[in-house]
Amino acid sequence: MDFKVASVDSIIIYFGREISQEISLKVKKAYKSIMALKDESLIEIIPSYNSIFITYDIFTYDFVSLKQKIERSITFNSLRQDDEKIVSIDVYYGVEVGFDLEDISKKTSLSIEEIISLHSSKIYDVYAIGFLPGFAYLGNVDKKIAMPRLSSPRKKVPKGSLALADTQTAIYPQDSAGGWNIIGKTAMELFDKSLDTLSPLSGGNRVRFNPITKEEFLKQGGIL
Amino acid sequence: MSLEVINSPILALIQDKGRFSYSSIGVTSSGVMDEYAYNIANSLLGNELQSNIIEIAFSNIIFKASKDTKIAITGAKCEFFINDISLDTWQTYNIKAGDIIKIGKILSGSRVYLAVFKGFNIKKEFGSNSTTLKEKLGGLNGDKLKKGDILEFKSSNSFFNKRLKKEYIPSYEEVLNLRVVLSYQKDFFKQEEIDKFFSNTYTITNEFNRMGCKLHGEKIACDIEGIISEGISFGAIQIPKDGKPIILLKDRQTIGGYPKIASVLNIDCFKLSQCKPLQKVRFSPISLDEAQEKVKLFYSSFI
Repeated sequence: MDFKVASVDSIIIYFGREISQEISLKVKKAYKSIMALKDESLIEIIPSYNSIFITYDIFTYDFVSLKQKIERSITFNSLRQDDEKIVSIDVYYGVEVGFDLEDISKKTSLSIEEIISLHSSKIYDVYAIGFLPGFAYLGNVDKKIAMPRLSSPRKKVPKGSLALADTQTAIYPQDSAGGWNIIGKTAMELFDKSLDTLSPLSGGNRVRFNPITKEEFLKQGGIL
Repeated sequence: MSLEVINSPILALIQDKGRFSYSSIGVTSSGVMDEYAYNIANSLLGNELQSNIIEIAFSNIIFKASKDTKIAITGAKCEFFINDISLDTWQTYNIKAGDIIKIGKILSGSRVYLAVFKGFNIKKEFGSNSTTLKEKLGGLNGDKLKKGDILEFKSSNSFFNKRLKKEYIPSYEEVLNLRVVLSYQKDFFKQEEIDKFFSNTYTITNEFNRMGCKLHGEKIACDIEGIISEGISFGAIQIPKDGKPIILLKDRQTIGGYPKIASVLNIDCFKLSQCKPLQKVRFSPISLDEAQEKVKLFYSSFI
């Protein structure tokens, strides 16, 4: 763990220098330990790929005392993922909503069915949530279907679009500009004010995509 | 018992200290841009410091009161009228049922704050009244104030008014000196780039809103193009590929991948929030210990 000063009242803790499942798991364990402190002087806690950012009350802690407190609280024992809840997201992988499926098929020489099967057969880890509220960066996608971002971003990617960029995948929780490849769509709300947690996903989840037919998608309220 | 908005303001938002518990899923902290004007308004009214307030940018909002209350107006220097009588700001006023409160043109600074005795009765959304338009959270239905909106409050029968001493009223005209804590990522910048950053004056561009403030001036080169996305502090100074610094403010993204050269003290970001495009800023370094002392002094003065 490498503690750094981020601003007058915030620190960042690094758990490694690259993106990997192992480092991500460390971040999650540490995040859990820090949250378990239920310390109101830790105002904002933001986990990401290889780091945890914390804004703190400077009337309670200084850099050194906060570092000590957190070092003592974190345990990495049992670095396993088994206890993480798997969230299943129904997706319609169709060319009407997956604008880039045909293009990816051409570039990879894989059929659309093969792309869908490769994408939906993995269980993904949540590496980070940000960019938009509820936008979860999931990985890692099978290298056979890894795709660079579009050379010019779309002005509007529709809410619910399932997207792919390099070895990461994500769902756009709302309409947004965006440069990721679009391969499908879900009717599930990823940012939902009726949930106490505001999003069905958190850093402690894993995610599976479940391919559904157009009929099922429409029945769930999906929009083509 | 309410204030009713009777014109169509450009950008008036209900705000408070901010929403902090959902940043791990990408929800911005939001909150008032200028905590100095905010805290003074609530202090003058004897309100709790976390009380909600109206943040008015680009001027021109008119309210009609349906019941007696007391208000405080702080922040940017502006035309301010109660029933067409021009009045000074940075003080409280008793309001009678039927009174018309008008904030006209902003004369210097850029955000006016209007607080009411005991705050407005608005249900908090996910721990805060702060409005973030892109998330449609807070305020009244997640939106900015519109004509016909009714802001409820408890009636007041306190008659004593307070005003802030003149020497504490900020002036927003000078070149603003922003004190910064150098970043842990400064090693991605050559010493000559850091020297450039501190020796030049930068100009605020039109890309200045609640999310951040883009500056124009001497470009800063960074040895790397990006970092692995990570949490971003209030006041963080990002250096994107074009070399022009961006200071991140209250409605910033929660995580981002641009390298950061330093972070501006929050108390100086409050002053920046009152600046306008074309105004000049410069940066000076401050140690973490000294910075924390200054910030503690700021917040202690309102307790």
